[in-house]
Amino acid sequence: MQGNSSRRGSVASLAAGSGSALPALLLVGLFFIVPVVALLLRSVTDPEPGLQNYAALFGSGTYVRVFLNTFLVAAVVTAVTILVAFPVAWMLAIMPPAFGSVVFGIIILSMWTNLLTRTYAWMVLLQRTGVINRTLMGLGIIQEPLPLINNLTGVTIGMVYIMLPFMILPLVGTLRAIDPMTLRAAALCGASPFQAFRRILLPLSLPGIAAGGLMVFVMSLGYFVTPALLGGTSNMMLAEMIAQTVRSLLNWGLGSAAAFVLLVITMALYALQLRLVGARRTGGGA
Amino acid sequence: MLLDYDRLGWLRAALVGFTAAVAAFLLLPVVFIVLLSFGSSRWLAFPPPGWTLKWYEQLFADSTWIDAALTSARIAAMAAVLAVVIGLFASFALVRGEFRGRQLLRGLLLTPMVLPVVVFAIAIYAFFLRIGLAGTTIGFVIAHTILALPFAIIPITAALEGFDKSIEDAAIVCGASPLQARLRITLPSIRIGIFSAAIFSFLASWDEVVVAIFMASPTLQTLPVKIWGSLRADLSPVVAAASSLLVGLTLCLMIVTALLRRKLSR
Repeated sequence: MQGNSSRRGSVASLAAGSGSALPALLLVGLFFIVPVVALLLRSVTDPEPGLQNYAALFGSGTYVRVFLNTFLVAAVVTAVTILVAFPVAWMLAIMPPAFGSVVFGIIILSMWTNLLTRTYAWMVLLQRTGVINRTLMGLGIIQEPLPLINNLTGVTIGMVYIMLPFMILPLVGTLRAIDPMTLRAAALCGASPFQAFRRILLPLSLPGIAAGGLMVFVMSLGYFVTPALLGGTSNMMLAEMIAQTVRSLLNWGLGSAAAFVLLVITMALYALQLRLVGARRTGGGA
Repeated sequence: MLLDYDRLGWLRAALVGFTAAVAAFLLLPVVFIVLLSFGSSRWLAFPPPGWTLKWYEQLFADSTWIDAALTSARIAAMAAVLAVVIGLFASFALVRGEFRGRQLLRGLLLTPMVLPVVVFAIAIYAFFLRIGLAGTTIGFVIAHTILALPFAIIPITAALEGFDKSIEDAAIVCGASPLQARLRITLPSIRIGIFSAAIFSFLASWDEVVVAIFMASPTLQTLPVKIWGSLRADLSPVVAAASSLLVGLTLCLMIVTALLRRKLSR
């Protein structure tokens, strides 16, 4: 690809090329890598060297419950998000642009609106005397207000709301990349719409679903704001527990250990997601 | 026929209906909060018994809200400028560089976007406590620049990858210095990427809550920290007024973005 003349200059371009990344590297190295590594060291040195923080973390029923609840919430949120996002992405991929752009506009508006604003709206909507409960009672569907907030239901509604754009937007890309002819062929060969969906559309969009789903799962695992405001004390999630351990209890050792666990899980899943996306790209190119 | 909008048959009605319902779901909280901010009920009854502007009056009469908004704007503007400039330089290295570990570097610079914010928040908080930057504007700006950097690098590298370097080379052949060529040819060509980077990094800082909660001091708090504090105390309609203004800002930003994109891509 490269001619001889540019190869001669490659030593210089190598230095110049990497050099302009230096400010970013310094910034991230000094104020990201160093603090995070220092935090992780703290988990095995604070208050004294040893693994006692991890022993406390995994030995206590309270903390194990927090872990299990975190995974439960992330899994429920991911499943609901996929189920809701898929039909929407499907329509957006094939809809006439005039209608589609309105839906896109709404998605972007909701995505760009301040996170706390959205969560606040759900707090008001879902509370005992909120609009949803009042409407349902007014219609005579329920007699007593439903417990919609400070529990798993509240967290799920609030989180799905936030995660939907992150699932819909990439899925639209995946679905648009599928050749409609494959489905026409299926129909010509006598496949019913259901068969065509199950045997062709779904398998072809599975890489996109998996990549998006994994991203939503990873983001949900470490989410702080929405679970803290819409969830209850009995189903606390990991991020809130970490913040509380450090801020209120000033137990830096335990908080750091929990942060390290969250970091390892997140990074492992992220690596998996990168492989999925990478595999899809190579698959598409071949 | 599942990917042919005109031949979906009965499925189309169902799917369009579902899509409309989801769009309504996405729009509901935004519209609701704006309506509520004009409602006269202290307890956020809906539909409101009457309409009023008093929550906005209370909001603007309270200098802590104004201060918080100004602090947020100042920090977000500084973080966005830093993130875009540093990200621009880094993007040249990531796209054009031919050094070993380029992919690794890219991964490293994008990590702050993936790592749960709460982990970074307590890490940088502990670090800043030690070096005396906790609760300072500089500390805020540094932490938010790190979080904003991936949002600057992604659109700029994407724009740079789509730009044909031979145009820049042609300028150099015609006598421009490499710096001139970059400033007058390359930068204008990737301006949409740079513009997106500026918007996204500004929003990354402007909306950031978790680091801000840790970094804030009684004298230095951003708008999200102020809202967070109010939400923990009670669900005052003043928060609805503040939120509605934020929704208005988002709408303005969307319109400006759409207009500028149209203008720039011409």
